[in-house]
Amino acid sequence: MSLDGFTPWLQALTQRIEGLVISGSDLEKRRTRIDLPADHLSSLLEAAKGEFGFVHLSAISCVDWIDVGEFELVYHLWSYEQNQLLSIHIRVPREPGRYQSVVDLYRPAGFFERDIHEMYGLYFEGALDMEKFILTEWNGPPPMRKEFDSEAFVEETFSWQEYNPQWLQEIVAAGGGVVTPPSQQRFSQRKGIEAPWGAEARRPLSDENTEDQR
Amino acid sequence: MRAENYQAINHPPSHAFELNFGPNHPGIEGNYALQVKVEGDTVVQAHADGGYLHRGFEKLMEQRLWIQNIALVPRICVPDPSPMEVCYSMAVEQIADIEVPERAQWVRVLQLELSRIAAHLFTFGGHAATTGMYSPMFWGVADRDLILDLFEEFTGGRVYSIYNLPGGVRRELPEGFLQRVSKMMDYIESRLQDYDDLFFANRVFVRRAKGVGVLQQAEALEMGVTGPNLRATGLPFDVRRDDPYLVYEQLDFEVPVEEAGDAWARTLVRRAELVESLKIVRQVVKALPDIGGALRSEIPNPLAWNVPAGESYARVESSKGELGYYVVSDGGEKPWRVHVRGPSSMHAVQVLESLVTGGRIEDVAQTMFSLDACPPEVDR
Repeated sequence: MSLDGFTPWLQALTQRIEGLVISGSDLEKRRTRIDLPADHLSSLLEAAKGEFGFVHLSAISCVDWIDVGEFELVYHLWSYEQNQLLSIHIRVPREPGRYQSVVDLYRPAGFFERDIHEMYGLYFEGALDMEKFILTEWNGPPPMRKEFDSEAFVEETFSWQEYNPQWLQEIVAAGGGVVTPPSQQRFSQRKGIEAPWGAEARRPLSDENTEDQR
Repeated sequence: MRAENYQAINHPPSHAFELNFGPNHPGIEGNYALQVKVEGDTVVQAHADGGYLHRGFEKLMEQRLWIQNIALVPRICVPDPSPMEVCYSMAVEQIADIEVPERAQWVRVLQLELSRIAAHLFTFGGHAATTGMYSPMFWGVADRDLILDLFEEFTGGRVYSIYNLPGGVRRELPEGFLQRVSKMMDYIESRLQDYDDLFFANRVFVRRAKGVGVLQQAEALEMGVTGPNLRATGLPFDVRRDDPYLVYEQLDFEVPVEEAGDAWARTLVRRAELVESLKIVRQVVKALPDIGGALRSEIPNPLAWNVPAGESYARVESSKGELGYYVVSDGGEKPWRVHVRGPSSMHAVQVLESLVTGGRIEDVAQTMFSLDACPPEVDR
C-alpha cells in the first residue's frame, strides 16, 4: 500500500500496527476508516491516544452481521489536536460473545460497553460495570440482536384484547368508525396478518363504504 | 423500579440513609432516577438509574423505511429535537452521496440555531428553578414558547418539526417569516438584560452556583464530556467550528469559554452561546434572501428507496454537546443499524455520579440541570 499523501500519524500507525488496513481516508472531510484484526485493537488505541492525541472516544457502535456470525465494533476517536475522526472497525465472532474492554484507556467506553452488553449480549472482560442500566426489568434475550423479532415477541407474549365499548358500537351503527385492517394498510408492519380484534367482522369493508368515508 | 420489585436492604447501622431523586423530579428534564446515599447533608454515594424513557428507537428504526425514521428521531431529545433530524439526514446523505442544495443548508442552520436558543432558554429556566428562583423559570419557558410559535409557522410543528428529509428540507419559508425571526431575535436580546438582573448576576444564584459541581478540564476530557460543559472548563471545542458541517464555515461566530468548570461557568457559557446563536440567526436572515435555488435535491421514490450499502458517522453540535449518528445500510429499504450517540449519555451517567458525590444534598438537582442532562438521549 502506498503511504504517500497520508499524514505522519496515519503513516506511523500503518507501519507500526500489524494487519491495519486504511479502507478509506478523506482528510479534507476529517474522516478516516481503519479495519483491523480484533487482537491489535489495544495496541492501536494506545498509540492513537498516547502519541497522536486521539483522546476523545466519541462512541462505540455495535453492528450485528448475523449472516456471517459476527459483531462489528466501531470505535470513533476524535483528536482535538489533529481535528480528525478515526473510525476503527473490528470484527468479533457472535459466539461466545466476549471481547476485551478498553475502559482503562477510555472512560466513556464504560457507558457504551454496558449498553452493548445489554442490547447485544456481548460481554466485555475487564469492564467497570456490566450490570443492566436501561432494561432493568427485562428478562428476555438481548433485544438489539437481529434474531430478536420484536413483533413476534409481542405476538407470543401478549394477547389481543377485545375492545368494543358501547360508544364505539353506536358510532359504527351510525355508519362511522371505519377501521382499515392491518392486512390492507399499505405500510403496515403487520401486513398479511388478519386483524384479531374483529374489525372486519364488525364492519365489512366494501368499496362503497370506503368511498363514502373519503 | 416498580414498587413490587423493590427489595428492602438491611444496612448495617450507620448515619447514612438513601434518598431517591426521581424518576419523577422537578429537577430533571424527563424521567430519570438518581439514588443518592446521604450522611447528614452530604452525598456520599450516587447511583444513576436510567431506562424510564427507553422506547427502543434504535430497534424501531431498523424496522421502518429510511424516510419514516425522520418522524421518529426528534423524539429522542424533547428540549432540542432539531439536531436529531438534521444529523440523521446528514448521515443518510453521506451514505447515498446526495448533495444538499445551498439554500437548504442555510435553512437548516436557521432551524438548528433557533432550536439551540429555545433549548438554552429552557435550561436557564430549569436551572433557576432548582435554586429556588421561579420567575426566571416562567420567563425561560415563556420566551421559549415564542420561538416555538416561530417553529409552528416555519415547519408546521411546535416541538417536533419533522422538517428535514435526506436531500434537503420540506417546504419554503412562509411569506415575511424572516422579518418575524429578526424581530424575535431583537426581543430575545432585549430580554437578556432582564435575565441578567434577575438570574445571571443575581447574588442568590451566583452564591448557589459558584463552586458547585466542579469539573476540571482533564477530567472532562477523560470522561468524554462535550459541548458547553467542556467549554466551561476552558477548552474551546465546538463541532460547528472544528468539524464544520452545513454552511457553518461561512458564518462568523465565537466559541465562548469559561475557566472555572462549575455550575456557574456552565451557565455563563450557555448565555454567551445564546448571544452567538442570535448572531448566527441574524446572519442567516440577512443572507437567505439572496440565496436562490432548490430546497431539496432529487431523491428516489422514498417509499421504495434502497439506500446503497455503506456506513457513515455524522455529527453535529446540539445544545447539549456532540451528537453523533452512526448509520449502516446493507442496501435495503430500511436501515441495517442506527446508533445514536446522545451527548447526555456521557455527562448524565458517569460524570453526574462523580460530581454529585461529595456535594450537598440541595445541589444535586442544580448539578444535574447545570450539566443540561437530557435523559431521553441516554435511554433512546
